[in-house]
Amino acid sequence: MLFLISSCLAVLAERFQLTPQLLHVSVNSSLQRVYLQWTIPNLTYHQELKMVFQIEISQIKKSNVILVANHSSAVRGDRAVHWSWDSELPLECVTHFVRVRGALDDARAPQPGSWSKWSPWEEAHVSLGPNELLVYPKEKLVEEGSNVTFCWISGVNLNNISCYLSGIAIHGERLDAHVSTFKWNNVLFHRDTGTNFFCRHTNPTTYDGVTVFVSKVLEEPKDFSCETRDFRTLSCTWKPGVDTALAWSKQPSQRYALFEWVSGENKHCELKNSCNWQITQDSQELYNFTLTAENYLRKRSVNIAFNVSHRVHPKAPHDVNFDDVSATRARMTWRVHSRGKSHTFLCQVELHCEGQMIQEHNVSVHESGEQLFGDLQPDTRYKAQVRCADANHFWKWSEWTPRNFHTLEAAPSEAPDAWRTVTSENGRRKVALFWKSPSKSRVNGKFPFYNIVVKNMENSSEVQQHALQAPVNSTWLSLGQSSYLIQITFTNSQGTSPALVMGISRDSGNEEVEAERVDGTKEGFMISWKPQTRDVVGYVVDWCANSQGQHCNLQWKNLGPNATSTNISSDAFKKGVRYNFRVYEISAHRIAHLIQKNVGYIQELAPLKSPDVILSNPTSHSFVLNWTTYATESQPGFIEGYHVYVKSKDAQCPQEWEEVVLKGDTHFSAPDTLRREVLGYIFSIGGSTFTTKPSLPYMLLQIILSMTMCVLFLLGLCYWKSQWVKEKCYPDIPDPYKSSIRSLIKSKKPPLTIMSVKDCIPDALEIINKSEGTKTQGGGTGKLHAENAPTKLAYLRLLPTEGSSGPGPCICFENFTYNQPASDCGSCGHISVPPRDPPYHLELLTSPNNLLNVLEKDYTNSLGEIPAEQSSLNYVSQLASLVCGDKDSLATDPPMPQHCSEYKMQMNISLSSMILLGQGKH
Amino acid sequence: MDLRAGDSWGMLACLCTVLWHLPAVPALNRTGDPGPGPSIQKTYDLTRYLEHQLRSLAGTYLNYLGPPFNEPDFNPPRLGADTLPRATVNLEVWQSLNDKLRLTQNYEAYSHLLCYLRALNRQAATAELRRSLAHFCTSLQGLLGSIAGVMAALGYPLPQPLPGTELTWAPGPAHSDFLQKMDDFWLLKELQTWLWRSAKDFNRLKKKMQPPAAAVTLHLEAHGF
Repeated sequence: MLFLISSCLAVLAERFQLTPQLLHVSVNSSLQRVYLQWTIPNLTYHQELKMVFQIEISQIKKSNVILVANHSSAVRGDRAVHWSWDSELPLECVTHFVRVRGALDDARAPQPGSWSKWSPWEEAHVSLGPNELLVYPKEKLVEEGSNVTFCWISGVNLNNISCYLSGIAIHGERLDAHVSTFKWNNVLFHRDTGTNFFCRHTNPTTYDGVTVFVSKVLEEPKDFSCETRDFRTLSCTWKPGVDTALAWSKQPSQRYALFEWVSGENKHCELKNSCNWQITQDSQELYNFTLTAENYLRKRSVNIAFNVSHRVHPKAPHDVNFDDVSATRARMTWRVHSRGKSHTFLCQVELHCEGQMIQEHNVSVHESGEQLFGDLQPDTRYKAQVRCADANHFWKWSEWTPRNFHTLEAAPSEAPDAWRTVTSENGRRKVALFWKSPSKSRVNGKFPFYNIVVKNMENSSEVQQHALQAPVNSTWLSLGQSSYLIQITFTNSQGTSPALVMGISRDSGNEEVEAERVDGTKEGFMISWKPQTRDVVGYVVDWCANSQGQHCNLQWKNLGPNATSTNISSDAFKKGVRYNFRVYEISAHRIAHLIQKNVGYIQELAPLKSPDVILSNPTSHSFVLNWTTYATESQPGFIEGYHVYVKSKDAQCPQEWEEVVLKGDTHFSAPDTLRREVLGYIFSIGGSTFTTKPSLPYMLLQIILSMTMCVLFLLGLCYWKSQWVKEKCYPDIPDPYKSSIRSLIKSKKPPLTIMSVKDCIPDALEIINKSEGTKTQGGGTGKLHAENAPTKLAYLRLLPTEGSSGPGPCICFENFTYNQPASDCGSCGHISVPPRDPPYHLELLTSPNNLLNVLEKDYTNSLGEIPAEQSSLNYVSQLASLVCGDKDSLATDPPMPQHCSEYKMQMNISLSSMILLGQGKH
Repeated sequence: MDLRAGDSWGMLACLCTVLWHLPAVPALNRTGDPGPGPSIQKTYDLTRYLEHQLRSLAGTYLNYLGPPFNEPDFNPPRLGADTLPRATVNLEVWQSLNDKLRLTQNYEAYSHLLCYLRALNRQAATAELRRSLAHFCTSLQGLLGSIAGVMAALGYPLPQPLPGTELTWAPGPAHSDFLQKMDDFWLLKELQTWLWRSAKDFNRLKKKMQPPAAAVTLHLEAHGF
């Protein structure tokens, strides 16, 4: 039988030459795929042979074979063979040729290796017009990272094609005269509307382009998990990753589907990150899910398998309530969504107070749970919350379910923290009571009232009761001189607190204790004391936070019986503020005894205020200064002493202040060393300056001298007046016969006429110059010179200089307040000051700058700013210059300024003329 | 009171004079119909507004298409997009048309352009672009109504749509994606040119329809300077 079959096959192979016949050659442009279909024509329908085929593909020309592929297939007469091939180059770019041949591949055949003849070549090509330009591939959808090959085919008339990929010019590889390619490797996603590849030719103008849609790589879903909250639905969630959708529906967003392997069911998910799966009622516990993400280019899958009872995410507990809430305890109950009593939940309970978690409990629950909270504070608001999870297979906690509750009030548990100050006034004592606002833990509720009971220890019938409503935290009592016991309690709705007891002894408020200094630091004051009695139950240190005064803001610190020191620190302590500390010893009878006072500063500062000094009993040699009203306690430091500065009032030269240092005294009497017969003293203390009265003899001497001068002046005036009246009214008539002149007349001829000086009218007035140069001038003025030389007063009358702005060489001011000798100060005497800037000198005017300077100077002078040396030049007469200067040299030399006399306007005129001359030279 | 013949002739002349000048009295010259002027003005304003709006929209849309469409110097020849109404008519030819023809051409062009724009809106991938396109389509619909109002005011009939050319978008022959983008590019470009030319048309028409303005001479004399 086997031999027979083999013989038949051999006959077939020889007789029919199993040559394939290509039935159909088709192309998918977007996939760049070639589909081939062929048959073996000589086979009958029932015959089936196993054959191997060889496919040959050439590009451009038949001899350019680019692919030889083998393909094995079972062949029947009624069935075509299919084969496909993906081309890297777009199929439209070049002409492709394809042919097929076959051979028997059956083990039964005697000669399996003999190939049939090739089928005829099938050719596929694109025909173009002469001016046509085509770019391929026309439609392309690729994934990021892949490669794309573009090609462009141009007609015979198009030679210079420019191509651009996403706007950037590219240069392709020429396959032949009219076909070029460009390979874009590792493509990137630019936009969901694709990347454009564009070619164009100018003259003739034509273009073509393609859009390549680049899809982002589809990501695997992450964090895929499923859980149930109600044992009816499985809720599966995942993170989808990037959306791979492209514009114009080139590729929609990736789709997700669930496949469950146990049940074999499939479900397409509507959402891209979650999907619900109905739990079957047939008690399926194991689930094996595959989540598949899919787009046009790729599929991605993830798988999970689980027992549904291990994926229970309970719902939040419900029906949370509080019962049996007291001041310190509360009981919370809740219920859970349970599958039954057999299922156990682990519940976590937290108790919060003022934002802080104070208790945490774990409770096992089947259907309902409860938790008792103890050690609670009365009258306090709490927040309790509970969440649950599966106790057997923990998966996730449920959400918290919070509830608030408020504990009840309780009676106050501790006594108030109070203190007092005692002051005596008019035979009674004023007791100021202070207490601190109690903490919440001490009050245990709202505290509407403070109760104060005052008992007279010496008269039991005298009892005072006071009730004060919060938030008052101080009051004062007026007590007699007896001993008292003060009890302070506070009351809320639940009861009264223990009492604070304070005793007031007879000498309370009258204790005299010397204050000692204590050095403060930034850390506070270290107060130390020595125990004075053994019967002590404690100590109290008090002080005023705001120093002394009305707004004391009393602070206190309670200390135990064994304490001997304490550090008092406060952020309220300030530099330069005096703090007084008092240390009290509390006896067993609750009576406080002042045992120590301390005073100090955190840091001392310099005194800000000087004493207000009163000068009393000033005499020529004694005085008393008092500053008893100076308040040292308000100073920013301890006042160590005072400085009094003394100096004599009549000192001629600046005299140093004489310093006297006083320690602690608040008055000052002039010491013997300062008691001198002087005009007076100037005292300075703390910025205040005082002057004592001059001595009596000196005053008398001044008065007598003044009166003598006045009398002499009046006498002189009377004499001059009488002489004037006598000359005017009763002139002496000379007797010519008794005159000695008569003898002269008689002896000389011709007779001379006697001229009376009184009858002459002067026609000129001369200036008397006091400078040294003037002394050397002509002797015509010798008489005047001789009279004026030693006197200052006459000179002052001749040259009034009240309006002078500076010291002049001819003016003398006598200043009695200065103690320098006249020769030193230079204010007295005639100092010849050379002119600084002679304005008339021709040489100075030759320069334009000098001209400008002169003009400016002239201008400023004209505005009244007369230089010092010119201010002494007073116009008397134009002739005055002739007197002062050299008359002979006036015509040839420029006029030199004279120190004591000059004609100012003449200077200006001559200056103007000089300026003109100077300009003419230039 | 007796009237003489000379008085009667005088009164008649006076009455005739008053009647002659009545149309010139502004208060009596109001007919209640403001004419096509305001509607032309509104159409002109709307055209300018659309020009401005399209500038922004085209920028966004061409960026959406990607290079080379969003490049400023991209100016390819119009090889495809044959169904789009061309605005690139010779200016002299266009000006030689009468008002009715020009308005009719405007109306027909915007009708087609609106149809294509709506198709564009349907295909836009981003919500923001869809919003902008929908807003522009609404405005362009308003311009069509405005042109229809002007034509009605001037007594011109609205053009009847040709059979088979209803204003509904039907996808044309299968274009490549690139050529489809090119069509979108040309749609926006043609629309821009149409709006520019329509603004000039309506401005010219507005001036043409305005009555000659009365000349006012203001004579100012300055004294005392």
